[in-house]
Amino acid sequence: MIAALKNRLARMDRIAILAVPALVYMIAIFAIPVAGLLLRSFSGPDGFTLAGYVSFLGDAFNWRVIGNTLRVAAITTLICLAIGYPTAVALSRARGFVQVALLVAIILPLSVGVVVKAFAWQIVLRRDGIVANILVGLGVWDTPQLLLFTETGLVVGAANLFLPFMILPIYSVLKLVDPNIQDAAATLGASPVYRFFKVALPLAMPGIVSGSSIVFSLAVSMYVIPSLLIGDRFQTLATLVGRSFLLMRNEQLGAVTASVLLALALAIVAFSSWAVRRKGDSR
Amino acid sequence: MREGEAFLDIRGAEKSFAGNRVLGGVDFGVNRGEFVSLLGPSGCGKTTLLRIVAGLLDADRGSVRLAGSEIGNLPTHKRGVGVVFQNYALFPHLSVADNVAFGLRAQRRPQADIAPTVAKFLDLVHLTEMAARPVRGLSGGQQQRVAVARALAVAPKLLLLDEPFSALDRKLRETMQIELKRLLRDVGITTVLVTHDQEEALVMSDRVAVMSRGAIEQFDRPDAIYLRPKTPFALGFVGHSTRIVGKAGASSDGTLAIETPVGRFFAAASFMGGAPVLLAIRPERIRINAADADANSLDAKLTELVFQGSKVHLHFTAGDAQTLLVEAAQIPPNLAVGDTARLSWSYSDTLIFPHDGTLQ
Repeated sequence: MIAALKNRLARMDRIAILAVPALVYMIAIFAIPVAGLLLRSFSGPDGFTLAGYVSFLGDAFNWRVIGNTLRVAAITTLICLAIGYPTAVALSRARGFVQVALLVAIILPLSVGVVVKAFAWQIVLRRDGIVANILVGLGVWDTPQLLLFTETGLVVGAANLFLPFMILPIYSVLKLVDPNIQDAAATLGASPVYRFFKVALPLAMPGIVSGSSIVFSLAVSMYVIPSLLIGDRFQTLATLVGRSFLLMRNEQLGAVTASVLLALALAIVAFSSWAVRRKGDSR
Repeated sequence: MREGEAFLDIRGAEKSFAGNRVLGGVDFGVNRGEFVSLLGPSGCGKTTLLRIVAGLLDADRGSVRLAGSEIGNLPTHKRGVGVVFQNYALFPHLSVADNVAFGLRAQRRPQADIAPTVAKFLDLVHLTEMAARPVRGLSGGQQQRVAVARALAVAPKLLLLDEPFSALDRKLRETMQIELKRLLRDVGITTVLVTHDQEEALVMSDRVAVMSRGAIEQFDRPDAIYLRPKTPFALGFVGHSTRIVGKAGASSDGTLAIETPVGRFFAAASFMGGAPVLLAIRPERIRINAADADANSLDAKLTELVFQGSKVHLHFTAGDAQTLLVEAAQIPPNLAVGDTARLSWSYSDTLIFPHDGTLQ
């Protein structure tokens, strides 16, 4: 028995070797720099200090920045979820050519760079852009207004860029769900609304959690998109990190801001996955 | 219920998919408490008919009435038609007991009734100890029992079984067939089974509807389907048979002569002289080297002998290419492959069908 266990461990060890290249790469270019950043945020002229955090959190402006960051990320995630979930359902039900066409339409835009797409959104959201023209034409607006450099423009653009990262995880979960399950629920007398909340949603939940985590993480830390779609008047934690290092040359402020951003993002993603899983277990 | 209307009463059901006609005006009636099978090969329309009854598909034309009222326009969840799906379609996120309770909760049954009802149906399918288990780890047979308990717990008017045994291995399948038949009879529920397995249909059903190409070929008791198939399709789909193509000859006193390349045979039938006919005999009806008077007979050479445990299949050849299949309880003594034997069968066991030139 001990021999069998040893044998298994030995086999596991050998398989674990496959992860070594990724591990080395991630330690070198991610873990070590992040550790350095964390260290930097705690170090003052006299060694270890919390002064950076104290002054950062004591500034009302920074709290507004934290609020901006979380609000924009949350709204972007909700927009992606509201559009992405039905799309994933359609994708999982589609067959043949339609499914391939949908998948291509979702994945192909990923090959266009963020900067290019952000510039495209600048054109779309201009005062004489297509959105303004349509809204005036429909009579929603009396006069054309600027959507660019507004928070609305920012979340619309961000949601567009991050949408595939919501659709694909949900789709990958849904395509494994037996389509007969919905029919079975109907034959048991469950109305469409009951089926949605008691069958479809719980079964899609693992995909919704991972899609939302990915989109939220991307949105909470996006830098190029807010820089191009809303500009300097509106600061998020990520743009503040950039300003601290590049403009203000304040490395400690940059490191502190980056650490706060990292902690917030991790905490929210971890908490929401835990909460959803707990709800699933207590049913 | 209207006069002459069955408990489940389908009239003129038609369905096409992309111009391809899958059901061509089917009439089908099931009496209250009856167990009926829809038997046919894949693509014959049996599953389409089941889905139309459950409301999972809409018929292009025709009416579906259950217990005296039209249900063809009702959504699935208002029909009171239970379904056990081929792969059972259990809810993977729920326990065994919660699967069974799902329909009761969905229909907002009184909270106090739910637990006793679930307990009753779990007991009925012998799964009481499994109540708290997730359904993922269950064996195929256990999953099927959960699916049956789940469907029965809401007390549907009608239960539909969609190939429910196809995922089980052969031994377990036979046990489950008998167990399920007894259970459904005790519950007293009207049941329609969809299957391509003739044995399953014959074993379980009060009546069997043999389907082919979107139509019901014969709807009769299992023994009548086997002994008196009405069409060559029913003959071929249910059980084995020897088929000989011939031409109707003279008939007198209800006895018809049939001219075939391997001889002249007689059958208890009447037919227009000269018409092409298909003559068929069930394998267990043919006797080997028996002294039969007033019987059809021919000489044939034994070409193959297939031992099947409780029975033996003997393949014979007569003339140039006429093969005959004989089923015997044991290997006949003094008969080896290559020997010639005299095969005989009675006139009344000679089945006659009009022949359209094709052999299925």
